[in-house]
Amino acid sequence: MVFTAALLVMSPWTAWFGGAAALQGDSRLADIGPAPETVLVEARTEQPFRLADLQSEGKAALVSFVYTTCNGSCPATTHTMYRVQEELKRVGLWGDRVALVSISLDPKTDRPEILSRYSEIFGADPSGWHFLTGDPKQVAEVIASWDMWARIGPSGTLDHPSRIFLVDPNGRQREIYNLQFLDPESVVSDIRLVIEETPAGAR
Amino acid sequence: MRLRIALPCVQVVRTLAIVLIASVAGAETCLSPYVTRLDRPEKYLYVFCVDADAADNDFIITIDVDQTSPNYGTILHQLDLGSKGNETHHWGFTDDRTRIWAGGLFSSRIWIIDVATDPAAPRIETVLEDVTGQTGLSGPHTYYALPGRMLLTFLGAADGGLPAGMAEFTNDGRFIRRIDQPEESPYGYDVAVKTEFNRMVSSAFTPLRNYGKPFPEMSLSDFGNQLIVWDFKEREPIQVVEAGLAPLEVRWSLKPENNYGFTNCALDNSIYLFKGLGDGTYETRKVADTAALPADLRQSPDDRFLYVSCFGGDEIQQWDVSDPENLVLTSTVVPCVQPNMMHLTGDGKRMYVTNSLLSTLDRSGNFCVRLVRIGPDGMKVDPFFDVDLTKFPTGAARGHDMLIN
Repeated sequence: MVFTAALLVMSPWTAWFGGAAALQGDSRLADIGPAPETVLVEARTEQPFRLADLQSEGKAALVSFVYTTCNGSCPATTHTMYRVQEELKRVGLWGDRVALVSISLDPKTDRPEILSRYSEIFGADPSGWHFLTGDPKQVAEVIASWDMWARIGPSGTLDHPSRIFLVDPNGRQREIYNLQFLDPESVVSDIRLVIEETPAGAR
Repeated sequence: MRLRIALPCVQVVRTLAIVLIASVAGAETCLSPYVTRLDRPEKYLYVFCVDADAADNDFIITIDVDQTSPNYGTILHQLDLGSKGNETHHWGFTDDRTRIWAGGLFSSRIWIIDVATDPAAPRIETVLEDVTGQTGLSGPHTYYALPGRMLLTFLGAADGGLPAGMAEFTNDGRFIRRIDQPEESPYGYDVAVKTEFNRMVSSAFTPLRNYGKPFPEMSLSDFGNQLIVWDFKEREPIQVVEAGLAPLEVRWSLKPENNYGFTNCALDNSIYLFKGLGDGTYETRKVADTAALPADLRQSPDDRFLYVSCFGGDEIQQWDVSDPENLVLTSTVVPCVQPNMMHLTGDGKRMYVTNSLLSTLDRSGNFCVRLVRIGPDGMKVDPFFDVDLTKFPTGAARGHDMLIN
């Protein structure tokens, strides 16, 4: 058996790595880039919603893309977001420092009242989870600005990528999750990190 | 008016959601777990081609592999990449399978190819000309999809020496960050992630200063023999383990509960097992002796078999890995001289094969694409599928990596 002796124990590893840390920058979560400008209609209130307003309130955001008639990954995505919501409540982070946002991929169908009903089915807490729709052209522009897409697939239903975005209180994308491997506890750990990196009032 | 939703309805929806989470899986192997899998038989086979004498531009061909098509087994399209001498080599899909990232080992040039607009006729979306300037690295090799991003391995530093490293980019080509390797393990090659254990393993080859030379001039002392185990979430190395010389492909077991994988050691003519010890660390062990120069390693969708192309031994071997510590050779086949890259279909029944490794290492000019059919009695060469890569208007082409769509 060739088990190398090169196991790197923690203290020498830290010293050995020192300033030549594995990552450029201080955080384990990279700065992926700015969150795109997102101005749509909040389904429950039917009022304009601007993602950047969350940053001015010092909030991180977890952003998903779904549509209400999807019988593919969307129900699982929204249920997973619900689990994140509940985990945030359990650890006391729900409230002032984080919001969940779900953007419709099918605004022609997902009119505000339909999207609002969908949010209720999934137990979304309106105090911190916003479902967005709007004029189809504007929604399409927002979807494309996140490098997302939705188009009719071979089965006749909308096909789309499975991505959920973490945006820090400075409006920077810090992580992108795939539904299949998304663990709510890990997401909440990431949310906590980006909040702690951006103290309230420091933006 | 808002509807009142009864609790049982909520429960049904949530149950459905849980089922959907559990059912999101695919059978196509040797891709990042984040890549969307094909949900139908393949129609197109893309082959990344090097103009053999480097006198003309490199290109990508699309071969019709729709078994119901009258054009089955013929070249449908050729995409000129606009430059020559790149040593076009490996590539990979983005997570949503709409783009292929493809790179040149000599030029460090990277093409982002749109395969969504017209899958039969890929088109260049972007060419990244200054990846080395952005990353300080050269020789981009593995293109590994992460959600919304690409993780790339590089074989060396900007000057063509060491250390190797990794870097992340957005899917549309914006540089995000560089990831440095431990000083004591400076060689790089492949990378693969095991999300269930939050582990990533990278392997080792040789940098441009060595692979860019003709084979007789290459230095065997300038190849790596180590695997690096990383904390994936942190992108931080936690352990270096030894394998045979030039451990190339990294293949984690496909079963979520299995904390082990394999690598083919090209200059040790062997397969090594890397296996988790349950405490987050890993050990390695040689588990098979192969024929000469095992250059590529592929997995069957049921996780039962490994396929090893022996570039120097002119054969492909099928190993039963049901017991990962005791591999059993179950079938061999000779599809062509110097077989190298393989690509297995999602049903595990068809394997496409090319036969160029590097322009500095190829010993035959009979470049082709062949098909190996796989059944209960092992592997058989399909005598009717034989795409000749020697008769392009520009002469012969070295076909290397492949993807299906």
